[in-house]
Amino acid sequence: MPSTNRSTPGVSAGIADRLPKWLVPNLSGLNMVALFIALLLIGLLLVPVAQVMIVAFQDPATGAATLQNFLDFFRTSLFRESFWNSFYVSAMSVVVATAIALPLAYITTRFHFAGSVLIQSLGFIPLIMPPFVGAVAMQLIFGRNGTVNLLLRDYLGFDIPFMEGLNGVILVQSIHYFPFILINLSASLRNIDRSMEEAAQNLGSHGMRLFRRIVFPLAMPGYIAGAALVFIKVFDDLGTPLLLNVNNMLAPQAYLRISSIGISDPMGYVISVILVVFSVLSLWASFLFMRGKDYATVQKGGGGMAKRNLKPAEKMLAYGVVIFILLLVLTPHIGLTLLSFGTIWSFAPLPDGYTLQNYVTMWEGSKSFIMNTLLYAGIAATADVILGTAIAYIVLRTNIFGRKGLDYLATAALAVPGVVLGIGYLRTFHSVDVPFVGEPLASWWVVIALALMIRRLPYALRACMAALQQVSLALEEAAESLGATKKRTIYKIVVPLMKGGLLAGFVTSFATAAVELSATIMLVSSNQDAPLAYGIYLFMQTPSGRGAGAALGVVAVLLVAAGTLASQVIIERDKKAKASADMH
Amino acid sequence: MNLKHLFFSSLAATALAGGTAVAEGSITVITSFPDSMTGPIEAAFEAAHPEYDLEVLNKKTSAGVKYIQEIASDNTADIFWASAPDAFEVLKSDGMLDQVQIASEGIPDMIGAYPLNDPDGYYFGFAGAGYGIMWNERYLKANDLEPAREWAELADPKYHGHVGMSAPSRSGTTHLTVETVLQGDGWDDGWAKWKWIAGNFSTVTERSFGVPDGVNTGSFGLGIVIDFFGFSSKASGFPVDFAYPTITALVPANVAVVKNAPNQQGAIAFVEFLLTPEGQSVLLDPAIMRLPVNPASYANAPEGFPNPFEDSTIGASVKFDVEKSGARYNLVNSMFDVMITYRLDDLRSAVNAIQKAEMKHADGDNAEAKALIAEARGLIEANPIDEATSLDPDFAAIFTKKRRTASDTVEGRQAEVEQEWDAMVVENYRRARELAEQAAAL
Amino acid sequence: MDQTGIKIEDLHLSFGETQVLRGVNLDIRPGEFFAFLGPSGSGKSTLLRAIAGFGPTPQGRILIGDRDVVGLDPWKRNVGMVFQSYALWPHMSVRDNVGFGLRERRVPAKQIRDRVDAALDLVGLAHLADRMPNQLSGGQQQRIALARTVVVEPEVLLLDEPLSNLDASLRVQMRRELLHLQRKLGLTTIFVTHDQEEANTTSDRMAVLDGGVIQQIGTPQELYDRPANLFVANFLGTANIFEGRVEIDGDVARFHTKTGEVLTIPASGNLDGSNVVLRPQNISMTQAPEQDALKGEVLHREFLGSQIRYLVKVAGAEIVVDQSHSAGRDWFDPGAQVHLVANTSSAVIL
Repeated sequence: MPSTNRSTPGVSAGIADRLPKWLVPNLSGLNMVALFIALLLIGLLLVPVAQVMIVAFQDPATGAATLQNFLDFFRTSLFRESFWNSFYVSAMSVVVATAIALPLAYITTRFHFAGSVLIQSLGFIPLIMPPFVGAVAMQLIFGRNGTVNLLLRDYLGFDIPFMEGLNGVILVQSIHYFPFILINLSASLRNIDRSMEEAAQNLGSHGMRLFRRIVFPLAMPGYIAGAALVFIKVFDDLGTPLLLNVNNMLAPQAYLRISSIGISDPMGYVISVILVVFSVLSLWASFLFMRGKDYATVQKGGGGMAKRNLKPAEKMLAYGVVIFILLLVLTPHIGLTLLSFGTIWSFAPLPDGYTLQNYVTMWEGSKSFIMNTLLYAGIAATADVILGTAIAYIVLRTNIFGRKGLDYLATAALAVPGVVLGIGYLRTFHSVDVPFVGEPLASWWVVIALALMIRRLPYALRACMAALQQVSLALEEAAESLGATKKRTIYKIVVPLMKGGLLAGFVTSFATAAVELSATIMLVSSNQDAPLAYGIYLFMQTPSGRGAGAALGVVAVLLVAAGTLASQVIIERDKKAKASADMH
Repeated sequence: MNLKHLFFSSLAATALAGGTAVAEGSITVITSFPDSMTGPIEAAFEAAHPEYDLEVLNKKTSAGVKYIQEIASDNTADIFWASAPDAFEVLKSDGMLDQVQIASEGIPDMIGAYPLNDPDGYYFGFAGAGYGIMWNERYLKANDLEPAREWAELADPKYHGHVGMSAPSRSGTTHLTVETVLQGDGWDDGWAKWKWIAGNFSTVTERSFGVPDGVNTGSFGLGIVIDFFGFSSKASGFPVDFAYPTITALVPANVAVVKNAPNQQGAIAFVEFLLTPEGQSVLLDPAIMRLPVNPASYANAPEGFPNPFEDSTIGASVKFDVEKSGARYNLVNSMFDVMITYRLDDLRSAVNAIQKAEMKHADGDNAEAKALIAEARGLIEANPIDEATSLDPDFAAIFTKKRRTASDTVEGRQAEVEQEWDAMVVENYRRARELAEQAAAL
Repeated sequence: MDQTGIKIEDLHLSFGETQVLRGVNLDIRPGEFFAFLGPSGSGKSTLLRAIAGFGPTPQGRILIGDRDVVGLDPWKRNVGMVFQSYALWPHMSVRDNVGFGLRERRVPAKQIRDRVDAALDLVGLAHLADRMPNQLSGGQQQRIALARTVVVEPEVLLLDEPLSNLDASLRVQMRRELLHLQRKLGLTTIFVTHDQEEANTTSDRMAVLDGGVIQQIGTPQELYDRPANLFVANFLGTANIFEGRVEIDGDVARFHTKTGEVLTIPASGNLDGSNVVLRPQNISMTQAPEQDALKGEVLHREFLGSQIRYLVKVAGAEIVVDQSHSAGRDWFDPGAQVHLVANTSSAVIL
């Protein structure tokens, strides 16, 4: 938009017009915004991560540039094993998460099934619990001497090592992250034109063959998007393996080395680099796979998937499967709730007794955690939606140079493990003083909100992109043809039309930021700055605080769930309003 | 420190002061202790001294040290309050602590074999803590086991898969325990003991609290933990108990007044309060449960709470050599991780195989089996380096090197050394298991 | 090839509370090209989908040949359907799309290849076998969808608005091709459309649906010339409809409109009704007064090429009049006073 700067005669003959042209670069507002976002991403993502990665390329003895550390990495059998374990756990988590998400997505999108909405909402719940809290609860239920195994041993004389070693990590991770697959796959399934399926039935296909050959391949883009996210998240996740005392994986190795040995041992940083590179590669591979496969936009004609009625026997089976899966994925919540109301829970299927004391203890000591969380996650999610909208607009509706780069850079945050970002922030901002606060930026609470903002930007960005893609370009052109400026068009037409999508982005960012621990654990400099997840962590570090920590966990889940539900309602209403507008 | 920094710091100090009701009565405490401990003590102190207001800033020990060093030029902290004596040593040698006169009564000079206070009067022990064994009564009953009371008992085959411990690289106090046994039993025997115990491990937890947590929930039956975790778990109602083995070290947790404290008087009042019978009795709060240093306080202790001032067996048998420990601090951590933490599965299955072979040939009649078992045991116990190497400053430097300037250089790379050790350990464990299985087949 | 007829008996179907089909009876002859015509929401697509086995299970009978297929799963019916959106699977090549039904029928691979090639030849797109669907134009996709359906040799062919996604010139060409193909294969075919021109030009017979009820069945001419009711009269072409009553005076029948006009109508046809239908082209318009003429004023004029359509205000009513156009012929401007004479021999009483 090079012409925007040319002011209309008589309206504003500002100073800029009287200055020579070369002094005022010909940048429009949008160009400035793009530049600002680019600088922000470079400063808050690229530079801190580079600060961490560079150590991996330095000789620990001399500081000279070297690749020796990478040779050491691949020569060390422990690291090779860790790499393999991380890969194995991530891949298996995708498999298990698929096994959980696929039936739920399939049943709720393809059949008339009472409670579909409930299932879809419940399916989101696991995401909003800090994974380490989930791990605590899972240990209580599925652990070696947890409820299930104690009962199995008493009544059947055997037990199942659900939580032993890598199994435990896989189980906890798949239960925590399967909603990524559920959400994406359900959306994909819903978007499949029903004639696609009917055409196949018409030609003699049905049942599993129909699903395998037509329905699933068509839902593949959504599935891959979800599966790639699960893979990367599990690959990078630190909290769960640490809490389950599994050390032979890459992220825990990086953390253990960096936090216990320090800068003198470059291996932790080498591992960080490998984590980042591998995650970026996985993302890239999934993008490559999905290119040209965005079937939803190719398909014409109306109507999503045809919903079918289930026969009574099928219905029984479907309810059985759904209830079993929901019980499984809500195990952490059930365990947490029991723990929060329990007195003592030790080597027993259930707590010894029940009490409200934990909630009293929790309430006395954690108001600041709750307020901080609302503040940080609120700031992060708001900033994410604003940035996401701006980036989406720049990428989809302008031809500003390097706009794709903005998209990639913001998305790349997905591939940066929280620990790496946390360490990078400490490194980068320790020497940056905040004016009027007198603290280094690294220990100022705002840095926590900034870290959360960067970490959750990819989620919000996807939501904003999707929302903007649904706003027809014609609507914008109509506004412009009626004399609205670009700025007013965005403000008056585009943003209001994106409302539902933006809200979805806000909720995803907010809900997941509210329970994030991996980056914040590095950045919290004092207890009064600590968010909820950190508060739960603190509570759970003392024998008497387990119940209170669990109570705080329950509050966190309820808080985020309430927010999510409220916005869901708003989104639905918005959708309905739009749908009825389309009808008339 | 530049002018700008000075300006902003004082601005912050003013802002902070403005936020609290009684500016001259506010005492700023930098501590590594959790809320559950500082809370009751703060409440008791403010009740006893309503003229003061305690401002607690929670930081990890190392971060706290760093913080005090950073703000030294315009100090706003009054008290440094933490466990690890070495942190106080660092601050003391940097001249960050104040030498103050503290009035206290009835506090002895030693706890176990450890001097309670800094001989120069810069910091003061206010509570004791030592490592021991914690167990879950229900768990042991269900598995038909007796509690172990000595480290060596934990190596008994009947405890296979029932023991938990934290890694010394993750927890300073765990390191102290590992080092205590190494010093008490000697380098080779000490490591052998750890490896035989580790052969019975259920898990090596990443956090030191993971061990009492595991025992409390019954994930494993016995844990090697610091005493207050055991006591406070018991006091919280868990069906657990705790015992000190003979070889253990009691170390004091300390408090010090920071140099140029803005409220020196208040700081002294706080330290003195901690040492009064009143202050000491707060340590027996169920959530804290640290050993008071004032022997009189034990009168109010719950039934069965140990009293190191009466029971001279607790923590008395080892003269802990701080210098030796410091010289190989990172090296010992790294060895533990390479031999035990990261190779726990290999170690466990090798030890289990040996235990089975020994069980089968318990009568000792089969000479061939005996020889095989002995060889297998030797392989488990073999260390990659001897004690002399561990104390060689050049070798230890590989693990501690700090490059302060670009011109500093250090020979050797930790990754390289660890890979050598790892290769040896993995091969030894594999071979030991093979031999034990051969023996068991005889 | 054996040709299969379709018989529908008293078919009822509802979506929840909404009745969509209410007692449909239909007899489609073997080899016939039959059209379902109706406005959107008339139930024509629902009826077609019910024949294919999609949507809720209806009440009544649908006989394909002598087999009642009600309640039968779609994949057991051997009914070929071409969808409005073509529904080509984007993740499969053209060849895989066309071969899909054969693979489902476990036809040997070699045969699949040959039959797919033959089907592609039939629609003239053999050279596109290895393309992906999104590399094809709309017309090509349409042909592939057709090939995919006929390759499995269904008993009947169902076309759901197959031409609606094509542009106008292609539509004309495709409908000829469709008809040609249907004649060649001799397949009993049902064609759903809302476009009367499409139905008129292709179908042997057609059924006009409205409100879930068949209004009339017949050849296109029958329906146009002798609509069974006002709906059909209005839906097929443009009609002037006057309310009033019929008076019979010996062998002369007269229709008295409410606004007072009197039209002499043939006494041979149906005289039972209160409306008279006059097609615009059956009214002539002159400037000079004529006997029995209605006096009116031109309100509006549209040039349609071969015809000029006038809207004329007569007494209380507005009448549409089509006058054929040829070069040099005069026309009336809005405001002109004209006289209308109805050719009442084609009038229909309803």
